[in-house]
Amino acid sequence: MTKQSIIFSPVTRLSGLLSVEAIIENGRVAEANASGTMFRGYEWIMRDRLVTDAVYLTQRVCGICSLAHGAAASYLLDEIYDSELTENAQYLRNIMFAADFLQNHIRHFYLFSLPDFARMPDRPPYLGQNLTDARLGFSDNERLVGHYFEAVKAAQESHQLLALFGGKAPHQHSFVHGGVSVAPTADKISQALALIRSIGDFVKSRMVPDTELVARVYSDYYAIGVTPPRLLSFGLFKFGKMNENNLWRGGVVSDGRYTLPQAQLINEDITNSWYVSGQEKGEKGEDYLPDPYKPHAYTWIKSVNYTGLPYQVGPLARMIINGFYSGGTSTMDRIYARTLETLLLTELVLGWLNKIKPGPPPINQKKTPVKNEATATTDAMRGALLHSAKIQDEKVVRYNIITPTVWNFAPKDKNGNRGPVESALVGTGIPRSDMLFTILGRTIRSFDPCISCATHILDLKKNVEYEEVF
Amino acid sequence: MEKEEFVRLCQSLSCNNNHELTRAILPVVGEYLALPNKSKLPVIWIETNDSGDNNIAFMNTTYPYLDQVFAEMIDLLYSNTFMAAQGSDALSILEQASLMYKSKFVLVVEGAVPVKDNGLYNIIAITEKGAITALEAIRQLEAAAGHVVAIGTCASFGGPSAARPNLTGSAGVRDVLKREIINVSGCPVNPDWFVGTLAHLLMYGRPELDSLGRPVLFYGFTVHRHCQRRSYFDRDDFASKPGDIECMFSLGCMGPRTGADCPYRQWINHVNWPVKANTPCIGCTNEDFPDGSTPFFTTLPEKSEKDEEKKSTSLKET
Repeated sequence: MTKQSIIFSPVTRLSGLLSVEAIIENGRVAEANASGTMFRGYEWIMRDRLVTDAVYLTQRVCGICSLAHGAAASYLLDEIYDSELTENAQYLRNIMFAADFLQNHIRHFYLFSLPDFARMPDRPPYLGQNLTDARLGFSDNERLVGHYFEAVKAAQESHQLLALFGGKAPHQHSFVHGGVSVAPTADKISQALALIRSIGDFVKSRMVPDTELVARVYSDYYAIGVTPPRLLSFGLFKFGKMNENNLWRGGVVSDGRYTLPQAQLINEDITNSWYVSGQEKGEKGEDYLPDPYKPHAYTWIKSVNYTGLPYQVGPLARMIINGFYSGGTSTMDRIYARTLETLLLTELVLGWLNKIKPGPPPINQKKTPVKNEATATTDAMRGALLHSAKIQDEKVVRYNIITPTVWNFAPKDKNGNRGPVESALVGTGIPRSDMLFTILGRTIRSFDPCISCATHILDLKKNVEYEEVF
Repeated sequence: MEKEEFVRLCQSLSCNNNHELTRAILPVVGEYLALPNKSKLPVIWIETNDSGDNNIAFMNTTYPYLDQVFAEMIDLLYSNTFMAAQGSDALSILEQASLMYKSKFVLVVEGAVPVKDNGLYNIIAITEKGAITALEAIRQLEAAAGHVVAIGTCASFGGPSAARPNLTGSAGVRDVLKREIINVSGCPVNPDWFVGTLAHLLMYGRPELDSLGRPVLFYGFTVHRHCQRRSYFDRDDFASKPGDIECMFSLGCMGPRTGADCPYRQWINHVNWPVKANTPCIGCTNEDFPDGSTPFFTTLPEKSEKDEEKKSTSLKET
């Protein structure tokens, strides 16, 4: 019997700061604690500000998926101010949203994930790579590394497409409640078409075959990093005057059974998170207060569950729920589903650009709120995202955000249930000690970690009236 | 190339899409590298409390693109975002690099630094000996660094990470370290401002800084001064809603008191910027962003009134 505790810190090539501590017993991971080690308290920041500040301010929660927060906040404001969206507004919104997905997925696969599978050049920032399980042949390796550098441009072009309509990126300006403030004109549409064709070529000729090659050469990762078969998505790409339709449906899949997600079945747990325990969240709706000294806690990320169980969110959940993919829930399934989604997105953007009719900025903002509270859901790049707000005289009384990271990187809850990442790590075989970081790094990154997104707290129950959100 | 010429190029060639600026600079950087005893700029990049938007903005650099920056301009020795090394291997590189390039490396800090509760709100790594907070890490690297560059508004002044009520006691690097900080603010930073600052450090050393420690060549004039819609302002012709073509002052534009060259530099391969997108500038490069800019869609004089109100209420309360 050998038992050893190890620290994997920092886990690099991701957004934010993450550490993993694990127990290795007889060459297998027996336990794993994933720690998000940064906290900013974003919901507190939203308090007492005008709710119309939410679109620009909540984008600052996360730099790599900022538009997703802007979108969720815009949907929330659409409901509060009773917006009526035009077709052009929805096409433009979805084009920008998809463009931000494209930059994220391309950057994740090449800049963050590829160095887990290919040997990088021997110069900064690739020194000390220590890839202890490199299996690609010389020419395949060189080709994929070449594509890493081509990916730099394809991802930049994705943000350029977004900025054509959005003003800048990250933290775009035009996708706000009531529509989009930029006019779709022939010049912009043709520039966007040129960009999406170039991005699409890259995805088809590089990213898809590269993913297939990695999946073939490292096919054992279809049996590594397997999570329980519980997947959740809030749906993606809204259409209709009132944002009432999702192009990609949301859903909850548990052991192959599909149901519609209901927000009132979402619960939170702070047993192992650095927040004050036993705190009463009374009438005033006090948010959880941070407690960095809390004994036994190990992360700033809270645990969130659906009907008491952890759920995995992200491209894999979306692809399976929408019937585009029928694989399992392993490390390689997550990587493959993300690339598949990237390919589908390039085709969607091309289609939407061809459907827009040139015209004035498709925006109509109403001035008077018709509701004092609302909940908006969508999927972000990494999975299900929820914003909810309670307001008084247009000022935020409470603002709550549940990000995808809170689902995937959830610590153990009070019943000892592991979140998706921790359950994916437990059971992983580590044949040699020098392979530890390589093997664990592949599985952790397959979730596309973003810890910036987790740097806040949430409190659903006491302050928002729930109805079914779909 | 003389320094004056470089500054002139930065200011005059940034207004078109033909990348004359970067085309003009790249070969010069190359020439510089070819000279004996000169090398690429060694960089150690520490991410602290931020949203990661500044490293994404950096990835959006064009001419030079990111791969060209890595190949030709900087040796990015430590970066949580980009480095291939991981775990303790990454920390060993940090240690070695800070010794080997002592007083030569540029310390880039991305994000505000929480100081409350001994900085426990931001831990950059955990070792057998315990947690290394961002506060400890940058204080340890302070003396060894040749220059310190704060990338983005959080690192420069606190930014959104330090917005009220600032539970974590987050502060800009200038309030945590005792030496000069080159602040390259923006939420996020425009990649030209950051890569241009690195280019200046590489070729000419410390750039001229304004009173907020920012390179004058990027932040020297207000957005208002160079705004394409200045003529509307001068004729009191104001927008009534986002999407309008008139001056955005009526919608809360912060241009008149925001130093940045957005109107002529623009964003993401220089294609657009917030006012061109028919929305107000929200003053993201400012010392008091975001608290001084919210409510975003309320006019500047009214925002300040609200500030005064807040101050007087809080005085009454205390």
